[in-house]
Amino acid sequence: MKLQLPNSVSSAQDVASIILEIKSYGRWFSHQAILQRTGAKHTTESPQLSPTATELLRSWSAKQPLTQTRLDELSTVLQQFIKSAQVVTITLAAPPTGDVKQTLVAWCRTNISPQILVSFQFNQTLLGGMVVRYGSRIFDWSFRRQILAARDTFPEVLRRV
Amino acid sequence: MGDSLFLQIFLIINVFIMGILAAIAVRHAYAHFRPAPTEPDKPHPSRPTYQAVHLPPQVKERLLKAAQSNFQAVLDHTATELQRDLKSTSNQLNRQLEKIGTEIVNNETKRYHDMLEELRLQAETALRSSQAEIGGHQAEIKAKLDADMAAEQQRLIQQIDTKLGDAMASFLLETLQHNVDLGAQSAYLTATLEQHKADFTREVGHETPTAK
Repeated sequence: MKLQLPNSVSSAQDVASIILEIKSYGRWFSHQAILQRTGAKHTTESPQLSPTATELLRSWSAKQPLTQTRLDELSTVLQQFIKSAQVVTITLAAPPTGDVKQTLVAWCRTNISPQILVSFQFNQTLLGGMVVRYGSRIFDWSFRRQILAARDTFPEVLRRV
Repeated sequence: MGDSLFLQIFLIINVFIMGILAAIAVRHAYAHFRPAPTEPDKPHPSRPTYQAVHLPPQVKERLLKAAQSNFQAVLDHTATELQRDLKSTSNQLNRQLEKIGTEIVNNETKRYHDMLEELRLQAETALRSSQAEIGGHQAEIKAKLDADMAAEQQRLIQQIDTKLGDAMASFLLETLQHNVDLGAQSAYLTATLEQHKADFTREVGHETPTAK
């Protein structure tokens, strides 16, 4: 099954975090199934899931009912996704906000690949713009790069003033 | 040179003649003023004996006076000749010396003038050559100086431009480093991605990196 991740899940770390949540939920789910089979009265609270994990579980159980096997299968699919997904790294001048992250991830998944993972880093010396690394290829679209590249034209601009 | 040799020979002959005449004159004068004592005639063994002639004292006196006057006349004549010869020789010598002196002075003056003219020409040629060389050097130095100045000017301009660029870049880097607002850049980031979309997607198509 083709897995469609929400834009809030951008990097491999995010996916790994969801896998942990799902495994934790799977353990609780198994425990609850055993309690149901034994007719036990008492139940335990389900573990706190993030909205992203909740949304993912909801979409995963849309077509088939959620079982322990399906949860294990989701974990496996997510691990396979981490291994096989394309990864692009975007470095910004400051830690990115959620909106900025989702905007950039949405753009990448729309224009490059729906299965792509985007990891974010920040480096103050960039001043602005971004540096995109994809495999061995680096695209430097930072302000710093532009300023340094345009350093020689500064005297010309100064003369025209 | 020929005249000089002839003159020397002539002078030597004159001196020789003058020497002879002087010796004769001195001998006669000595014999006249200090006559040798007359010894009585002695019979010479190898010479035949002549019989002595006894002259009267008046005759002897007259003969002595006549001989004395003759000797005096010869002596005067000789002295006069000698004086005339000396005067002639002296005049000739003076003329010759004057002529030689004039010739030497003229020759030396001409040689001096020639030498001066040659030196002047040499100096003029050397001066002209030096002037031409100096002119060439001046032009060469001026051209080199102009080129050096232009190069130095260009280098300084380049240096100033580089410094200004560095200063401005440093200023911007220092100023903007702490004023990053990514929220305001969100549209710019998306626009940048859109602008380089073609390059980016082409690179993605070439290689497919995956998470480890």
